[in-house]
Amino acid sequence: MNYLNYAGEAFLLIPLSAIFLNNICNKRFIEKHFHILTGAVALLQMIAAVFAFYIMDANQMLNFDFSVFGSSKITGIELFDINPVSLVFLFCIGMVAFVSVMISIRTIDVKKGSYVNLLMTLLIGMNGMVMVSDLFSLYVFLDVIGISSFVMIAMFRSRKGLEGSIKYLIISEIASIFILMGLSFISMKTGSLSFKDIGRNLLTNTFELQTILIYAAIILMIAGFSIKAGIVPFHSWLPDAHQSADTSISVLLSGIVIKIAGIYGIYVLTNIFGGIKAYQVSLAGLGIISVVVGALLAACQSHFKRIVAYSSVSQMGYILLGLSTGSTLGIVGAVAHVFSHAAFKSTLFTNAAAIHEQTGTLEIDEMGGLQSRMPVTAFSSTIAFLSTAGIPPFAGFWSKLLIVMALWGSGNQILAGFALCASILTSAYFLRLQKKVFFGKTPEHLSSVTEVTGSIKFAEILLTAVTCIVGVLFPLIIIFLHSRGLI
Amino acid sequence: MLNFQTIMLFVGFLMIIAGCYCMIRTYHMLKIIIGIEVAMKAVTMFLILAGYMNGHMGLAQAYVITAIVIEVIVAVVFAGVTIGLYKKYGNMDIRNLTELKG
Amino acid sequence: MATIIYISLAFLLIFCVMAVMSHSLLKSAIYLALASATLGVILYVLGAYWAAVIEVSVCSGLITVIFISAISLSKIKKEEVQKLYSDKKRMWFLPVMLIVVGVALIVLALANDLSLTNTAEKVTEDFREIFWNTRQADIIGQIVTILIGGIAVFVLFRDDEDKK
Repeated sequence: MNYLNYAGEAFLLIPLSAIFLNNICNKRFIEKHFHILTGAVALLQMIAAVFAFYIMDANQMLNFDFSVFGSSKITGIELFDINPVSLVFLFCIGMVAFVSVMISIRTIDVKKGSYVNLLMTLLIGMNGMVMVSDLFSLYVFLDVIGISSFVMIAMFRSRKGLEGSIKYLIISEIASIFILMGLSFISMKTGSLSFKDIGRNLLTNTFELQTILIYAAIILMIAGFSIKAGIVPFHSWLPDAHQSADTSISVLLSGIVIKIAGIYGIYVLTNIFGGIKAYQVSLAGLGIISVVVGALLAACQSHFKRIVAYSSVSQMGYILLGLSTGSTLGIVGAVAHVFSHAAFKSTLFTNAAAIHEQTGTLEIDEMGGLQSRMPVTAFSSTIAFLSTAGIPPFAGFWSKLLIVMALWGSGNQILAGFALCASILTSAYFLRLQKKVFFGKTPEHLSSVTEVTGSIKFAEILLTAVTCIVGVLFPLIIIFLHSRGLI
Repeated sequence: MLNFQTIMLFVGFLMIIAGCYCMIRTYHMLKIIIGIEVAMKAVTMFLILAGYMNGHMGLAQAYVITAIVIEVIVAVVFAGVTIGLYKKYGNMDIRNLTELKG
Repeated sequence: MATIIYISLAFLLIFCVMAVMSHSLLKSAIYLALASATLGVILYVLGAYWAAVIEVSVCSGLITVIFISAISLSKIKKEEVQKLYSDKKRMWFLPVMLIVVGVALIVLALANDLSLTNTAEKVTEDFREIFWNTRQADIIGQIVTILIGGIAVFVLFRDDEDKK
């Protein structure tokens, strides 16, 4: 069990020590080699997550409690808690952070911002959030993620960055206030807010003040986490914030932050309140509206990153549909979709960075015919698009299949039909994007672009390989889960 | 129906409405911090009321102190971003921010 | 003891609404500081001694200082502030209604003399033990937040070349 203890503490202590190393060492040395430090942290996180998953599975453990700095010797209370779902999230965090470092080698001038420090604090915030066992600590780490991403968007102090940061900040603070209000209403009924003490029977059927407060708490917390996840009708901050940041930060924001800050919170709420029929109905309603409205809004944009941001809104709706079923198959489908969405969304943002590096523009009306000039980018973009639309044998197909099967199995056949038909909308806006950017005639001023080289190309190839390999090997994962009795 | 807990909940709810109204309807960027602070005061009152109702006052005070620390840092970051925007545009009007289309 | 709480609630609501509706930023900051002090009184009477002290010292002191330094870093003349708001339609009836409803409720409570009903027995515990021993995850979060605040001040207030 010592390995698990070390792995668990490593998730929090390694980024912290990377911050110290970054600020203590010689400045010129760090500015030349910052990608080695941050890339090593991201790789270590991925390796530790896989390692811990293997050990936990070999010993048939379902969760593992630990504390940092040995405080459990005093009171016997464990503060952090790993289970297999949080290990999948931790692996996704490591993967997207690695991709972000790969992009930042080419696009970020390290002398002007504090990219390394802020990335490490964002990693601490996200790792902490998926590992805590108490609702109020969840809120604290949620705010750590929030404040870190505000500063990251505004880091270079351009007009667009500061404006996107303010819009994101106002709406995110409203969400935090709603979540804290919901927490205080829950705390009025039960003494403490830890996951073990809350239990599942919070609602009694008598009409008294406590019951009204618990219902109000459920509504407030769903609204707060939906604002953070970018669910329609709370999505208005998402395209502005993701477009105005630098591309390596947009990868982080759209690839993992909206999922950890929003979807993981709703997953925690589902564990507490999942059996209530009104809760499932409201999540399903929010999910299906997000899927349809996100896809429709993406079809009429003309900026590459805005199309991809609205596509994130649509995919978050799919994950909510998976969580609303209340069955284990739905939760497995939602977590699988988190992973495959992280993979293909990072691919799309890497392509955006490659196109911006080589052509200098991101308006799709000015582009065309780049397929013959940038073949690797075009190929990875096509693979990402096929995975988004849910076409076999890529990873997106399997996760969407699990979600649709869960919806069908829990009696919502109409919603399952809608989710399938919305794949057509997804294909529509992505086909438009592909056609305008990669096929067609090359305009005059772009006749001399060449393929992007270096770390961005490496990141594209790596992510395409991950999407293909996970897609092809997914039946093995399903057999594995079936043998553990989950499906 | 009208007891002490209900009155405090109602006053706190009115304060949150006032805070959200300020955040949404103001034209001056620094007034938004005032809206955030007013809403956080209402939430502080709710947390201590929860601690009073179920008897665990020490735990509620731990929550309140953590929330106050986070509130201060959010105010500092917001003031920083606002002053950056002031240096770009010359005044603190939020109607200047039209570069990103909705 | 109940009357102190009700009177303080009335003042808290009045100060908050005045802070929201005031045209001048300095007056808003001062109303906010007064509201923090009144909230400190409420917290002290309810029994949260440590939280009351930190609320009064931090919110009524530190945030007001941050706010006034932000105002002074952006030197706007008073006439410009008036001009900014002269064409904004104010719904003046909304805050008046808020204050009237709130104060009416409190006067009703005072008239009926509702006392503090405490339905749960108090668990005697010391705040310091709980905070330092069982809430260590929060402490890690707070340390990281303060670190981000320091990085933000360093990044956002840097005074290098001015791009026009």
